[in-house]
Amino acid sequence: MIIEVDGLVKHYGNVKAVDDVSFGVNEGETFGLLGPNGAGKTTLMEILCGLRRFDSGKVTVSGFDLIKDAYKVRGVIGFCPQETLLYDLLSVRENLAFSAALYSLDRRKFNERVEFASNVLGIGEFLNRRAQQLSGGMRRRANLAASIIHDPPIVILDEPTVGFDPTIKREFWELIKNLKSSGKTVLLSTHDMYEADEICDRVAIMEKGKVAALDKPRVLKETIGGATAIHVRVKESQTKKALSILEKYNPSLLGDEVQIPAKNPLATMTEVSSKLASEGILTDKIEVVEPTLEDVFIKLSGRKLTEDSA
Amino acid sequence: MNSIIGIAVKDTKTFFREKGTIFWTIAFPIMILLLFTAIFGRDIPFNANIGVVDNDHSLISASIITGLNSTKGVFTVKNFTDKTEALKELNTSSVRAVITIPKNFTLNLTMTMPAHVMMAIDETNPDVARLVGDGVKTFFTEFYKQYYHTAYNATYIEPIVVNEEKAVVHEKIGYKENIVPGMLTYPLLFSSMVVATGAIVFEREKGTLKKIRASPVRPINVLLGKTLAALVQTSISILIMAALAVVLLAPKLNWNVPLLVPIFFLGSMNGIALGLIISCIGRAPQEASNAATTIAIVLQFFTGMYFPIEYLPVYMQQIGRLIPMTYAAQALRDIMIRNATPGDLLMPIGTLAATAAIFYAIGVVLYRRWVEK
Repeated sequence: MIIEVDGLVKHYGNVKAVDDVSFGVNEGETFGLLGPNGAGKTTLMEILCGLRRFDSGKVTVSGFDLIKDAYKVRGVIGFCPQETLLYDLLSVRENLAFSAALYSLDRRKFNERVEFASNVLGIGEFLNRRAQQLSGGMRRRANLAASIIHDPPIVILDEPTVGFDPTIKREFWELIKNLKSSGKTVLLSTHDMYEADEICDRVAIMEKGKVAALDKPRVLKETIGGATAIHVRVKESQTKKALSILEKYNPSLLGDEVQIPAKNPLATMTEVSSKLASEGILTDKIEVVEPTLEDVFIKLSGRKLTEDSA
Repeated sequence: MNSIIGIAVKDTKTFFREKGTIFWTIAFPIMILLLFTAIFGRDIPFNANIGVVDNDHSLISASIITGLNSTKGVFTVKNFTDKTEALKELNTSSVRAVITIPKNFTLNLTMTMPAHVMMAIDETNPDVARLVGDGVKTFFTEFYKQYYHTAYNATYIEPIVVNEEKAVVHEKIGYKENIVPGMLTYPLLFSSMVVATGAIVFEREKGTLKKIRASPVRPINVLLGKTLAALVQTSISILIMAALAVVLLAPKLNWNVPLLVPIFFLGSMNGIALGLIISCIGRAPQEASNAATTIAIVLQFFTGMYFPIEYLPVYMQQIGRLIPMTYAAQALRDIMIRNATPGDLLMPIGTLAATAAIFYAIGVVLYRRWVEK
């Protein structure tokens, strides 16, 4: 394990922001901390980066103890916080040079890393532009480039795509996948279940400072999220009739849709479709719905991921 | 809500929720008001040390000394037996004038002959020279009226004549020569202190301090980097001011660079260290920024930058002597006006070095504590 967290506790006054959290991150994997706002993800990440003290527990990063070898730990981590920490009046290259200086990079290594960032993160086209002249997406990419300019084995990303539109979000997911391909261990926090599902090898679901569940997204969905279901929508006047026709499939009403659990989704969908047609009921929509990490979270906490953690 | 009103409401709310910002914003005009009232709003706006060499040793010469000492704080008399010693102190501005009462002073006065006293004035500060000169002459006129004329009830006696003798100090200094060293003290106070505060405060405000703290750079290195940057900015400020002074005022000053550099360096270090302390004490960035500006503006009145500290009430002069910049301002004047030698500067250099070291150490401790918090 390149990151090991054992029994970590952090209080803010009387509030337990991180409550006995334990997990490990394997070298080269992309590990996600998934949870709503206030679940303790950012606090946990800032502790790992040495930005916050913790009350108890033990953390080792690349074999270094977070307390005893604080500065060594900081040297092996590239931290990219939610906000873009660029100096507006400096060009992207100058911002990168400043970050490189913080890690005492020599000129040759710096030039190599700028080339890497240009290729992998696509910042080459605006290297000489001032940070204040960049679009939101460009700023985030430049910010990420500055965070990993020292070629750290571990990259910690706090809500890397929050506030992005779907296109830029997908673009950023590709960048993160590129980081993984280049051998980095990525630890990211998100409250976007699709993001966690799309790019994380494993996910720890956090709720009220605790790790509520931890596994591969597929396993979490299978074991906690529930079965795959068929969702059918018919005319409102025919909904009752449809429920009665499909009684043997254990249907339930979810909003204006009839939901049917299905172990064999395609076969069940065909059966349901023909049964309704034979009874003269026309379907507006029929689809297979897989459980999501949102379902996993709802099962674990009884509420949606988008709600703030109480 | 209209966006302009929305922004105004937000900013107003923020202002009233930042207790520190409120304090410094309101405290500043109050402090300036109090300061000006204390300096200019009083009956006696001036106090100076003057040396007296009494060669007459008479009752009248003793009563002159008593009289000078009873000028409600305008003059404080320092007695000398040797005129050379007195003039030495005049050279260092420890006394602003030396009055010599000649041996036959009482005899001339009682014989109704003109009685002369000699006065040498420190001309390095035109304001002080004028005030001291006028003050001494007025004193002798009043002394003549109140003591001698009343006591002897004489009808006509030649009044005491104050003869000005050329001071052993240098040629008469003009206003521009006097003001330039004061102007050059300005960057030590403002540029260094405000820049140092701003450097930390800016990082806090922008959140970029997080980036620095997440890196393996130790706090002391961060501070040294900030100090270096502040030194560079202060140096540029000094160079620009010096160049402007030369071009616009063409003052006749001694630009002894090897002696000026250590004073500028140590003065800047004091300002930077104070800025560092302020930036760590201020809870909110805006609070620290306002505090630095306010403190710099207030301190300038205590340091003798624009007017001699003798203009200040005695208790303010004492406060001024606790401020390192006062020594920097004085040292700059000593070098540029009095052609001070390295030996003359041992005290101000020692004081500036000691205070810079103490303030910087406090700044480092506070910064580390703040970072760890």
